[in-house]
Amino acid sequence: MSVFVIIYYTLLLGASCLAAYFNKRSAFLLLFSLTLVSFVLGIVGGVGALRAVAIAAGLLALAAMVSYAFREFLIAIASHNMAKELRTAPLTAAFGMFVIFTYAIAGIFAPWIAPFGEAQVISSAFAPADENMLLGADQLGRDMFSRIIYGARNTVALALAGTVLAFTLGAMAGLLAATTGGYFDQFLGRMSDVIMSIPSLIFALLMLSIFGGELANDTTSFWLLTGFAVLVGLLFVTAVAEGNVMSWIIGLAIMVGVAVAFAGGMLVIFNPSEIILVLVVAVIYSPRVFRLTRAVAGNVVVMDYIEAAKLRGERRWYLIRREILPNSAAPLVAEFGLEFCFVFLLIAGLSFLGLGIQPPTADWGSMVRENATLISFGELTPLIPAAAIALLTVAVNFVVDWMLYRSSGLKV
Amino acid sequence: MGDILGLVAKRLGLGLVILLIISVIIFFMVELLPGDIAQAVLGQGATPENLAALRKEMGLDQPAIVRYLGWLKGAVMLDFGNSIVTGASVSETIGTRFANTLFLAAYAAAIAVPISIVLGVLVALARNSIFDRVANVATLTSISSPEFFLGYILILYLAVKTGMFPAIASLREGMDFGDLLYRTFLPALTLVLVVTAHMMRMTRAAIINLLASPYIEMARLKGTPPWKVIVKHALPNAWAPIINVVALNLAYLITGVVLVEVVFVYPGIGQALVDAVSKRDFPVVQACCLIFAATFILLNLAADVGAILTNPRLRHPK
Repeated sequence: MSVFVIIYYTLLLGASCLAAYFNKRSAFLLLFSLTLVSFVLGIVGGVGALRAVAIAAGLLALAAMVSYAFREFLIAIASHNMAKELRTAPLTAAFGMFVIFTYAIAGIFAPWIAPFGEAQVISSAFAPADENMLLGADQLGRDMFSRIIYGARNTVALALAGTVLAFTLGAMAGLLAATTGGYFDQFLGRMSDVIMSIPSLIFALLMLSIFGGELANDTTSFWLLTGFAVLVGLLFVTAVAEGNVMSWIIGLAIMVGVAVAFAGGMLVIFNPSEIILVLVVAVIYSPRVFRLTRAVAGNVVVMDYIEAAKLRGERRWYLIRREILPNSAAPLVAEFGLEFCFVFLLIAGLSFLGLGIQPPTADWGSMVRENATLISFGELTPLIPAAAIALLTVAVNFVVDWMLYRSSGLKV
Repeated sequence: MGDILGLVAKRLGLGLVILLIISVIIFFMVELLPGDIAQAVLGQGATPENLAALRKEMGLDQPAIVRYLGWLKGAVMLDFGNSIVTGASVSETIGTRFANTLFLAAYAAAIAVPISIVLGVLVALARNSIFDRVANVATLTSISSPEFFLGYILILYLAVKTGMFPAIASLREGMDFGDLLYRTFLPALTLVLVVTAHMMRMTRAAIINLLASPYIEMARLKGTPPWKVIVKHALPNAWAPIINVVALNLAYLITGVVLVEVVFVYPGIGQALVDAVSKRDFPVVQACCLIFAATFILLNLAADVGAILTNPRLRHPK
């Protein structure tokens, strides 16, 4: 019996007795079942297993404290109404917000935080960690820590761009289908059925096999982007113009200009293969957004106040903007979070397979693949980028869970 | 019984139509390439003679629609042509690999389905307790982690540090069944972790939905013992959602297998697809995509048919 084991059991038993004395039923159940489990673990795994449990509990307590403090911080700086909402947030949601905040900081200020450049070779391959390199070097001798920080920028930005595009297309089509109805609605519905009946990873692989390679150049990606923007723009113009020939002409002219400007802007930010990736993701995930938007908006369209607005003579664009959108905002925001998780995991998976973000851009999925050999030597480092992916997805899911619970009857 | 058969036949017909449309998408997407496949294979520096020879060999001198019909006819008879890169028959290369993938998926499903349904029901019965919360966080974490993360964690702790299982799931001829199960345990466990989390959450949601219905409340109020409420009143109505959950997750398993196969270097069809995509071997890509899509649609169809069979209300659509 080491001192550690004695302290371990004393603390656990003492805490469970206290919880029982103060009638904290759930805390008591948790603590006491942990004690019982520890008996078994201690016999099977020895002191090491108990130490691992203690470390895990400590980490959990640390996370809980950080989330509590962060929630109080947010409540303190938020306006009165926001603060009221934030007070209802469970600790898991606060933890999610804290993680998202941290990633945002890391991504935005990456060049200032990272000690070395993204593709800067500073030592030999797989050099171990020292006071210069926090996490050691990767397979080409680049600083692992800097690359992880830059990954927060590259990977998340790409996933965010993909989600935004998928959302713009899907939500616009869904709103239009809900307000128009008829053949247009039917056609879009059947089309999304077909796209959704191909598994997303498989569809992405199919499209990347075609648009990868030589096709991933500036011209192709420019035209694909413009095409995508024109598609979204057509939906917009249809919603706004509504049969008026003059507005159609003006709308189309503006649309082409915006589409070209958008494509040019995207080309400045991302390189061609990344743009192809973003577009592939947008095409794959927009049907899911379409389905949800169509369902939510479909429930709103049949309301009496929509009927009243129509009788007032309001136009379609007004209906969408002022009546339908505000009344379906909550589920749509939650869906945005969920879609982001799916997109993020898909892009990470594709990069892991070597078909997504291309080197030398620092990216978490491909970093796992490149350093995977280290795992067979019992090293933890290659798992850190993978853990970073998992942590962000969990965080977003926590926040989405809370929003769903707060906003709607989806109390699962 | 006649109306059930009719409904099932209608669903099957719809599935076939969707599969046909998908085959069109898969085939004609490759046609989008500038020039043609021959150009893409040989690259920019190809001589015209080489191009012409390859075109002739692949039948590219015929119009697209003729080639599509020929491809479809071959696909129905499980003949997907020859690989561009190796020249071997696609069906032969993929056939055994597809069997391997099915084996891995079945292995994972055999472990995951019973565990997750039992756990899901238990968690639903103890909802809002501390165990429910812990299970919620644990399943959410498992769903949110990429498959390769879970896979490498298992490799690190169960293969490298303790050496209990092999890290690479290589298959040899003439392995006995026990050895096979042992060698493929880690990839199967990875899939089990992901799928169990999904299935548990869905089962929990379905059961909670069910337990909130008035007739369960009624059964409780009239003093029926709790186990009888579950077995006699809740369970008959729970089969439909549970069958649905299982079928949907099996469909998920089929695609989740791609990443897991790459992590564990398992000789399955997912690995073949990834290799073919990076080598741009289009016949193999097309064949793999069609097989994956067909399996996916088939399982979704099974979910629909299972729901129709177990829920009489679905047989009389309003």
